[in-house]
Amino acid sequence: MSAPTLPVGTNADAAVAVPVRPATNHVAPERRMEARTRIVMFAFCMAFAIIAGKLSYLSIVSDGREQEAPARDESVPIPRPGIVDRTGRVMATDLQVASLFAEPRRIIDVDEAVELLTSHLTGLDAQQLRAKLDSDRGFVWIRREVGPREQEMIHNLGIPGLGFRSEQRRVYPNGRAGAHVLGYVDVDSQGIAGIEKYLDDGGSLYVASLAEPDQPAAAPVVLAMDLRVQHALHDELTKAMERFQAIGAAGVVLDVHTGEVVALASLPDFNPNDPRTSLDATTNNRVTAGVYELGSTFKTITFAMALDAGTTTLQGRYDATHPIRVGGFRISDFHAKRRVLTVPEIFIYSSNIGSAKMALDVGLEGHREFLARLGLLERLRTELPTAAPLVPSNFSEVTSMTVAFGHGLSVTPLQLATAGAALVNGGNFIEPTFLVRDRNVASSLARRVIRPETSEAMRQLMVFNVADGTARRAGVDGYAVGGKTGSAEKVVDGRYSNTALLTSFLGMFPGYDPRYVVLIVLDEPRAAEGTYGNRTAGWNAVPTAGAVIRRVAPMLGLVPRAPEDLTNLTPLLVQAEQ
Amino acid sequence: MADSWRSEKNFALPSKVLRLNWIAVLVIAAIGALGVVMLYSVAGGTLEGWAERQIWRLGAGLVLLLVIALVDLRVWLAASFPIYAVVLALLVAVPYFGTSAGGARRWLEFGGGIQLQPSELMKVSLVMALGAYFHYCADGKISKPLYLIVPLVLVAVPAALIVKQPDLGTAALILVVGLAVIFQAGVHWAYFVAGGIAVCSALPFLWHTLRDYQKERIYTFLDPERDPLGAGYHILQSKIAVGSGGLEGKGLMGGTQSQLNFLPEKHTDFIFTTLAEELGLIGASGLLGLYALLLAFGVYTAWRAESRFGQLVAGGVTFMFFLYIFINVAMVTGLVPVVGVPLPLVSYGGTALLTLMAGLGLVLNVALHRSMPLERGGSGGGGSIALPKWPVRK
Repeated sequence: MSAPTLPVGTNADAAVAVPVRPATNHVAPERRMEARTRIVMFAFCMAFAIIAGKLSYLSIVSDGREQEAPARDESVPIPRPGIVDRTGRVMATDLQVASLFAEPRRIIDVDEAVELLTSHLTGLDAQQLRAKLDSDRGFVWIRREVGPREQEMIHNLGIPGLGFRSEQRRVYPNGRAGAHVLGYVDVDSQGIAGIEKYLDDGGSLYVASLAEPDQPAAAPVVLAMDLRVQHALHDELTKAMERFQAIGAAGVVLDVHTGEVVALASLPDFNPNDPRTSLDATTNNRVTAGVYELGSTFKTITFAMALDAGTTTLQGRYDATHPIRVGGFRISDFHAKRRVLTVPEIFIYSSNIGSAKMALDVGLEGHREFLARLGLLERLRTELPTAAPLVPSNFSEVTSMTVAFGHGLSVTPLQLATAGAALVNGGNFIEPTFLVRDRNVASSLARRVIRPETSEAMRQLMVFNVADGTARRAGVDGYAVGGKTGSAEKVVDGRYSNTALLTSFLGMFPGYDPRYVVLIVLDEPRAAEGTYGNRTAGWNAVPTAGAVIRRVAPMLGLVPRAPEDLTNLTPLLVQAEQ
Repeated sequence: MADSWRSEKNFALPSKVLRLNWIAVLVIAAIGALGVVMLYSVAGGTLEGWAERQIWRLGAGLVLLLVIALVDLRVWLAASFPIYAVVLALLVAVPYFGTSAGGARRWLEFGGGIQLQPSELMKVSLVMALGAYFHYCADGKISKPLYLIVPLVLVAVPAALIVKQPDLGTAALILVVGLAVIFQAGVHWAYFVAGGIAVCSALPFLWHTLRDYQKERIYTFLDPERDPLGAGYHILQSKIAVGSGGLEGKGLMGGTQSQLNFLPEKHTDFIFTTLAEELGLIGASGLLGLYALLLAFGVYTAWRAESRFGQLVAGGVTFMFFLYIFINVAMVTGLVPVVGVPLPLVSYGGTALLTLMAGLGLVLNVALHRSMPLERGGSGGGGSIALPKWPVRK
């Protein structure tokens, strides 16, 4: 079939342009149009046949049922599984309650209905109710969650057009305890925060339970949380926040061998039974959703890195006589000794100069790689949503030095605690979890990040620091607590402020065989009675951590032991001072 | 007898009123009435609001239909190009003076609260203009490339203007209706085959030029269950409603899908769903039957018309009417993606109703004047359209 071609040039003959299909030209136009009309008619008939077929299929054969399932899934609340702590205490459960609705079109006497309802249900606005019942809508809620006695009363009123629908109400019997981990559900029983949201988003246990529709009550979800530890942590943080008039406080207790979050508290908090209390932004989960420059607690990372890379040893020394000036910055020490320091001294005096030099010895690439190895450069993956760390775009020498003492890189406290756990558990990085986890499962997830010897050195340094260094107030007899303090200057209006501090303590216990890491963070603590005007971590975060450990260590079944002999480190101090 | 048909007397007004196809008018009114009943039902059993206003519009539409039907066909032939020019001017004015709604500029506002959607008017005036062009075009020249430029421009310019508004659905409808008229006029097959191949091979490239929401609609059409609460919601709810109606339906105001607001756009684009739910397969088939009667009348009119203009106008309008029905019903039953096309004469809405009434008025008009001789200009088998600067040897 050849399409007619356009004649080119003025001498083209129109008759010559279309000689190839004389037959077509001889067909009368009327005849051709008739043929085409017939084609159109045929198309019409086909189209109508297709539509008729589809209509019949939908209304008679399929009855629309094949499509009904997904829609129904979403509209009827499914009983949610209960949530219990690791010892089996109920953290969240469903209660059956009735909700009152009306079908305005079926209500005969609106005035009577309004009068009766307002006299039997307290807190109903008569005007709003009248507007609802007067409308021509098919369905309106009058009150969600009516008590059994009220339900019976309204039932006995016998108002036509009213009805009850059985709904589930989510109840958190422990109130605020563990609120940030639990999260909460909306009025339709859909999880919208915390573990509740995680379950709805496809948490494995929950999905597995849905696969068996005959089982009405799914097995409860078991949290890693220990309610007793949670309570102690929450209580001590509340006291600390009050005492030091901090604007916020956060703490987490992590099992170093399983990655289980045994307790997590963030203040101010909210009551999951009344989700509106969580609307204030200050109630965000500071442990998972807030990122901070955590200051000197970060030096634990730097030390582990340098010791593991072999660029220094516990016997190594660095000159901290003079502040470092680099690119307009001045790096100096808070507890300045103005002399050559041994590595353990740099740790217990928290020397910024020494830490920065240790990082430089490892090199930029090595530093960056080590941070990445400990999961500090990307978002932590766990059941709760977590904030992504703020990583400096240009990892220069200055960045490396400041990150060495915890500035310039903002991470979530949970990230630091997780990294800290890896430093003291023998050197294995284990992703944290809010659900119970078996030790065997944990060891299958473990990823070696430092050598066991480095981990042992870190353990010694941390214990030494509490025994003799900046963190003495975290000491708990018999448990040989170890840890590192940090007092970071917060950025206020684009500058580091020396009045607004973020103090923290990364601790572990028991020191003789670390089982738990505890991280305490206080936001803008102030000097209080007994701190002699000090507001640094050693005076607030450290004693808070000590108080927590003192309360929870016995609960966790840890046995007190005689203090360890750390005389192998002591000479390093003496030597330096000579 | 044959001669007497041709006498001017038969085209006198009283005679025309008598000869008008009142059955077709009745069918149109019946479809409209069914629409009013459905609007009464979806409003929860009240005339207030939709049904009441629709009654007024139907009345006005029927008057318009009768007026257009009774005017001499020659008037419409002569007016075709001027009308097209005016509507095109309105379309051009839309981007500058139009009122926008929902991110698109489609309406022109006149004093007294009168709103006009030029793209709707274009549907009918394009059919008329194309009809007039091919009416005047010499039979033998229809398929020559140069003679195709004018009709293609007639279609492409308004289509492009409407795409710009943006209103992809209407533009596509205009394009298809325009091409259908060109096809019906008898332009050679080869063009359509070549065009079809060209479009098919361009599809992969066109896909990349689609906006994300447009792609999403196509994905959703292919698998509505992939997002039952979001993009697939309309179509799923619609299918559930049609299916739950069964053979006899749930009775007026008894459809749970529509009365409880599960169904979106239940008074406009998805009114057929409500009808199928409440009046069942019997009701839906009844409406489709009425449509089929109307379409048959249109095709028959096109077939029997003796003037080229009459054939093309009747055929074009009928095809447009058919497209509306097919796309709407196919959409709500999940046969084609969701595009905003109303169900003709039934869906709530003014401009589309008036446009369709005007179009159907033209079909009735052609039926009345089927034997009226219309000048084609030039001489013998002619057609007066010739290209001025092209040497045409006879």
